[in-house]
Amino acid sequence: MRFFKLQRYTAIALVAFMALHMIVVHYPPGHLDFSRVVDRLGNPVWKVIDIAFLGTVLLHALLGLYDAIIDWDKVTPFRRVLAGALIVIGLVAFAYGAYTVISFSPAALAALR
Amino acid sequence: MFKTTGFISFILRRFTGVVLALYLLLHIWVIGAATQGAEAFNRRMEAVSTPVFHILEILLLAAVIYHAFDGIRLLIINNFRVTDKRKSMWYAAFAIAALLTVVGGLPILFYVLGINF
Repeated sequence: MRFFKLQRYTAIALVAFMALHMIVVHYPPGHLDFSRVVDRLGNPVWKVIDIAFLGTVLLHALLGLYDAIIDWDKVTPFRRVLAGALIVIGLVAFAYGAYTVISFSPAALAALR
Repeated sequence: MFKTTGFISFILRRFTGVVLALYLLLHIWVIGAATQGAEAFNRRMEAVSTPVFHILEILLLAAVIYHAFDGIRLLIINNFRVTDKRKSMWYAAFAIAALLTVVGGLPILFYVLGINF
C-alpha cells in the first residue's frame, strides 16, 4: 500500500478515534487522576480501543512528519535514514504507550490506597 | 500564490500537523508516568494541571480541530468532483473549526476560572 493511501485511511480512522477520545477522556474538563483513568480502562475493550488509537495516531503523525521533513531539499538525500529513525521512534513510542495503557490496572490503584 | 486559500490551508495544516506530531510524543511520555505506578502518574498530572497548561490545551484543541476539518475537506475534494468548491469549502472548514474550538474551549476556560454551571 502506498504511504499516501495509508495516510488517508489513518486520517479517516482518526476522526472517529479522536472524537471518542476527546469526549470520553477530556470532557467535562476536570482533574485527571489515576483512579479516573482506571474506571474506564478497567474494561479491556477500552484498552484495545486505546492501543488501536495509539497505533493509528503514531502511523499518521510519523508519516506526516516524514512528508513535511523531506520537503526540505537539504534532507531529501537522507530520506532513508530519516525513515529508519522515524520507524524506530514509532516502534519505541508504540511499545511504551501500549505498556502505559496496560499499566492502568485496578491492582496498581489498590497499591496507592 | 501566498494569499490563496490553498496556500494558507497547506501552511496551516502542515504547521498544526508538525506541532501535533511533536505533542503526541510528549503526551505519550507524560502519560507514561503510569508505568511507575499510580502515585507517579498523579504527581505528573498535577504538574501539568496549572492554568497555563489548560490554556495551552485550548490552543491544542484548536490545532486538532482545524487539522481534522481541513483534512476532511481534502478527502472530500480528492474523492468527489467538487474541486471548484475547494475555496468555499476551506472557509466552511475554518468556520466549523473556529466554532467547535469555542464550544470545546469554553468549558476548559470556565474550569480554569472556577466557574461552575
